[in-house]
Amino acid sequence: MVYIASWDEFVERSVQLFRADPQASRYVMKYRHCDGKLVLKVTDNRECLKFKTDQAQDAKKMEKLNNIFFTLMARGPDADISEVSGKEQVEQQASKKGRGRRQ
Amino acid sequence: MVHLQPDPFLNELTSMYERSKEKGSVWVTLKHSSMKSKAKRKKMETEGETIEYRCLVRATDGKKTITTSLSAKDHQKFQASYATVLKAHMNALKKRERRDKKRTAEVEQKPASSKNPVSSKKPLPTKPLL
Repeated sequence: MVYIASWDEFVERSVQLFRADPQASRYVMKYRHCDGKLVLKVTDNRECLKFKTDQAQDAKKMEKLNNIFFTLMARGPDADISEVSGKEQVEQQASKKGRGRRQ
Repeated sequence: MVHLQPDPFLNELTSMYERSKEKGSVWVTLKHSSMKSKAKRKKMETEGETIEYRCLVRATDGKKTITTSLSAKDHQKFQASYATVLKAHMNALKKRERRDKKRTAEVEQKPASSKNPVSSKKPLPTKPLL
């Protein structure tokens, strides 16, 4: 199975994979409390990317990835994710700055 | 396969996690879907109708499967509640104890080396400036 060691690489490649084929791609999460293991999988039925972990810190990173995928899947593959809440706020602030006049 | 509204889905998901504590797994799948068949989708595209896409969420414990679908409006509220459910139940994962244990093990094993260079995260005792 294609297990990816780096979290950032997993995120980048899985978003790319989804955007390439949004109809076929899916994001699967498997959690086993008895083993304390978490496995994430993104596949388009041709290529498969997986990430496994037993670290609590990865669960936090996974939450952010969940947000990204919820946004992509609910709004469409062209949705502007920009790390969801983080950069969206920055964009809003930037637009406010543009409108205001400084005298 | 049981189709539920987002809130009952979350309640069921919570009980799935509770039931699977001693043994078993919980799978959650996220998929982008229009809930229409391929033929219908092509037809809608040729007719110029906009296809409404939803986010399909499936959860199973190996025996029972529950499912819900989110629209672009629902997803933000759902993802907040979903994150809460996950945080509440995914506590079997290891915390950063390994690194601390490794460091203490290294320190014990190498008493000859004066300083351990890999001690970036240990809090240094603050000395009050007089």
